Amino acid sequence: MSETALDQRVVRRWLSGLTRGNRRWIQGTVAAGTLAGVATILQMVFLARIVHLGVIEHAPASELTPYFFGLVLAIVFRSVAQGLQTHLAARCSEQVRRTARRQIHQHWCNVGPLELGQTSAGSLAREWIDHVDALHGYFARFLPQMTLSLIVPLLILVLVFYLDWLAGIFLLLSAPLIPFFMALVGMGAEKLNQQHFATVSRLSGQFLDKVRGITTLQLFGQTESAAEVIQQRSDQYRRITLKTLRVAFLSSAVLEFFASVAIAVIAIYIGFGLLGYITYGPSSDLTLFSGLLILLLAPEFFQPLRILSQHYHDRAAALGAGAEILARLNDGEPAASFSNAEAERMDAQPTTDEPGTNGKAIGLNAVSLAFRADQKVLNDVSLMIGEGDVIALTGPSGGGKSTLLNLLAGFLVPDSGDIHLFGMPAGSFAFGWLGQSGFLVHGTWADNLRLTSPDASDVAIETALRNVGLGPLLDSRKDGIFSQVTEDGQGLSGGQARRLSLARIFVADYDVILLDEPTAGLDSDSEMYVLEALHKLALAGKTLIFSTHHQALLALANRVLLVSGGEVNDV
Amino acid sequence: MSDLKPWLTLIYQRPGRLFIGALLMLAALLSGLGLLALSGWFITETALVGVLLAASLPATINLYVPGGGIRFFAVSRTVSRYVERLYNHDTVLLLLTDIRVALFRKLAAAGRGQRRELTGAQWLSRLTSDVDALDTLYLRLIAPTALAAFVTLLLFGLTWILFDVRIAASVALILGIAFAVATIGVYARTARIAARQSDQQESLRMAVVEHLEGFAELTAAGRVGKHGAWLMRQAHQTATEQVKADSRTGWHLAGSNLLINLSAAFALWAGFELFRAGMISGPVLVLLPIALLGLAEVYSMLPEAFGKLGATQASAARLNRDCRSNDLQQLPEEAIALPEGTALLAKDLTVKHPEHAPLFTHFDLQVKTGERVGILGHSGSGKSSLADTFSGLLAPSHGASSGLPCAYLTQKTVLFEDTLRANLLLGAPETSDTQLWRVLEMVDLAERFGSEPDQLDTWLGSSGSRLSGGEARRVALARVLLSPAPLLILDEPFTGVDAPTREKITKQMDVWLEGRTVISLAHGPDALPGTDRVVQLGV
Repeated sequence: MSETALDQRVVRRWLSGLTRGNRRWIQGTVAAGTLAGVATILQMVFLARIVHLGVIEHAPASELTPYFFGLVLAIVFRSVAQGLQTHLAARCSEQVRRTARRQIHQHWCNVGPLELGQTSAGSLAREWIDHVDALHGYFARFLPQMTLSLIVPLLILVLVFYLDWLAGIFLLLSAPLIPFFMALVGMGAEKLNQQHFATVSRLSGQFLDKVRGITTLQLFGQTESAAEVIQQRSDQYRRITLKTLRVAFLSSAVLEFFASVAIAVIAIYIGFGLLGYITYGPSSDLTLFSGLLILLLAPEFFQPLRILSQHYHDRAAALGAGAEILARLNDGEPAASFSNAEAERMDAQPTTDEPGTNGKAIGLNAVSLAFRADQKVLNDVSLMIGEGDVIALTGPSGGGKSTLLNLLAGFLVPDSGDIHLFGMPAGSFAFGWLGQSGFLVHGTWADNLRLTSPDASDVAIETALRNVGLGPLLDSRKDGIFSQVTEDGQGLSGGQARRLSLARIFVADYDVILLDEPTAGLDSDSEMYVLEALHKLALAGKTLIFSTHHQALLALANRVLLVSGGEVNDV
Repeated sequence: MSDLKPWLTLIYQRPGRLFIGALLMLAALLSGLGLLALSGWFITETALVGVLLAASLPATINLYVPGGGIRFFAVSRTVSRYVERLYNHDTVLLLLTDIRVALFRKLAAAGRGQRRELTGAQWLSRLTSDVDALDTLYLRLIAPTALAAFVTLLLFGLTWILFDVRIAASVALILGIAFAVATIGVYARTARIAARQSDQQESLRMAVVEHLEGFAELTAAGRVGKHGAWLMRQAHQTATEQVKADSRTGWHLAGSNLLINLSAAFALWAGFELFRAGMISGPVLVLLPIALLGLAEVYSMLPEAFGKLGATQASAARLNRDCRSNDLQQLPEEAIALPEGTALLAKDLTVKHPEHAPLFTHFDLQVKTGERVGILGHSGSGKSSLADTFSGLLAPSHGASSGLPCAYLTQKTVLFEDTLRANLLLGAPETSDTQLWRVLEMVDLAERFGSEPDQLDTWLGSSGSRLSGGEARRVALARVLLSPAPLLILDEPFTGVDAPTREKITKQMDVWLEGRTVISLAHGPDALPGTDRVVQLGV
């Protein structure tokens, strides 16, 4: 319990940190809301005045006209302020969400691709899009309303005290109850929210599960019984949820009750006061004007609080989403030098006229890395790789091949020792990387290749695609490299996607190319094309480093390194 | 609006519930209106009587009826609001169930060809946000709109009775405009943005996922910052549109409030003429404007609901599209007779996906009963589509295929979040536990689950015991092997299963499947179980 309370505090701090650069939007929203409140009070003043003058003092129409003008003016003013409030609130939330998105993206860049690969892209994307959007209501509605639910009732209270202090005391009596209401409403709403989310997500999970497997259910002729199961479980959850709701709704009913009773008590008090039945206190001074005004203001006194309770779920939603985002942001030590390298990357150019130490292009100097204290993946490894070498890394799985590749890419930072490529730190200039799974974006073939090489010519793109054996596929499409890669939901096979990534490397003309198991899991066609493509790259004098078990790839290498037991040795 | 029609029909299947819910909402609203209007009347009446009494003139006032009325409304407002919220939330949950079950039945009725292949994230958003948009349609939009219209008419009638028809008509005109501003006005000005919004959201999601999947490559190429900035711009554009829609909704809300307040001001102004003419009393003059002010409560629910209507329609359209019923595309299949002793016959098959080059053409195959046929093909050659065609999931675009009833192991492993037993019994509900253990033994899983505390009742799926890819594949295989169907189609039966286990299973399967026909498809010969002959696809 205390732990979750602490969590909430941290999340709230983060949320308020997000507003730092956007204070003026929130202040603007609150100011507009306050103006709307003042206009409301003015409207009621004019209304009560007109009734008093007309009904009690039988004022002629000409005398009332200016008051009617004032009334209409207050009404117009109120609406303008109200419209402005929502407009500013929407802008505020937009700014805040932008800040949050930037923070998350910066975090992604800081932790680097290796750490990022541990989480599914779908859930990271959900955090970036949906969780951030879940903050909307909190900043647009709840946060300004919090302040407004203090300011506006206070203004009304002051006025009512001025009009009739006894009626003011009635309202004030309920004022200490307001924090109490808020706590009640809050607890209720929180419970309701949690219950609702838990139920919905559990139900959605089960439903999703059935929908995903619907073909299987169809094949076994079980769809009808599955539909019945869905019906039963939904009904069951509905009953459980209602039990909680019965309690949860009570808290807002209490607020409603106090508001109604306060209005009723004030109405009856004023009525009796006007009749002269109450001889005590200020009630003998009551007029229709002051009495009616107090009555008209009483609901407005409770209104901001009622709105706040309606927006309470926004707070819960934002806290829930914020907690998940924050957990991600705190997750994973940012590899310090990784982010530095990232920043410098675009400026750095490989200085080919000075080919590194002793004519060697790539060097590891006493590099050690351990993921767990007791087990070093690499132990004091020193290594020199010449420019234009084709290096195969082999060894048992889990032996450190991928780790070594990630170190060379700069995706990982060694515990000790240093790595330099062409005299520069790892990851400080553009290089080719081919991971285990290929990657493509929704767009044309040309879009996909220009993603990493924006200036590539059409001819270069087509040549690169043919180089990796995607020529026949390209020919079957109407618009060649300008046709969509994925049409009508028909994607590429794993092998084809990896070849597309390889084509990017062909277009970009990198000096160093790192490949993680380039042929693993490929069918024989794709395998053949990949081998051929790597051969071409080797002939072009590129430095290739890849991990593999594949015999043909080992044959392609001019140097084979065995990565095992924390050591790297020539075979 | 036509997109909403099937869902509205579904919602209206519970007319009694909807009606009671609306009545409760009406009761809560009228209690609120009544409390304030009666209080206003009471205060004015007492003020007038007080003036007379102060002047020592004879005057009487009945305090009990209005006092009782005020107390009654104070209580009835609280109670009806509480009951209304509870009752209508129950209705929403009921509708949610209705919609889910209907959706599921629709999906089940559609063939696989018609069902669009959606990713898990897409399904999740369909089943949560899209269905949510529909299940709250009644509570957020239909009921408040009906209520606002009804109460407006009620106040029109009240004005007619208390004041006169001329004033009533003018008030109704002002309120009519307020109603239009809060409903169709908002809809007209936000529908396009809202509809676009969800499509933008979906393509943004896709772009983010792609960005993350290519993070290593982009980082290596030094492009992650540039591509990230592009993503930020996309997100910002979507957010800006949303701000536009939100602030339009806000201005319409302000506009409708303006008109409601003006109608109250107008009623007061026009009422004074009647008051001066002695046609109405002071308390009645006060009652009506206060009641009109109370209308803001129900009107203020409308703009937001109508601002979201465009998105709701888009949700409905997406759901309709993703599970359209198959009678649209069902081609009259050329039935071919199955010769004696044949388990499967395919003649001159052409299989293609819409707007794509055919995967293969002129494919012929005859499989005798009891025969074991292997089909080999490289990735993308259309193996799985062929298997879909054999099992009847996919209609061939040319030619015909017919076969005995079959059990089909799809390339994708599908297990349900349920017990191991429930997952296995799917194909053969009558199977005994002994049989289940036998088949588990055969796929080399008996030991694995024998050591679980719950044995056959071990819970599978994310919340239960985690299976490796190979284990899950073998459970799926076991499920198909249990099926009594005379023909088995196995698409890549051994994905993720290591070679020694594969050999062991192959051997045991040969015995188990004695006399049954098996067609297995794989990318290479070593991924096939025992076969009598092998067909190479796409050479």
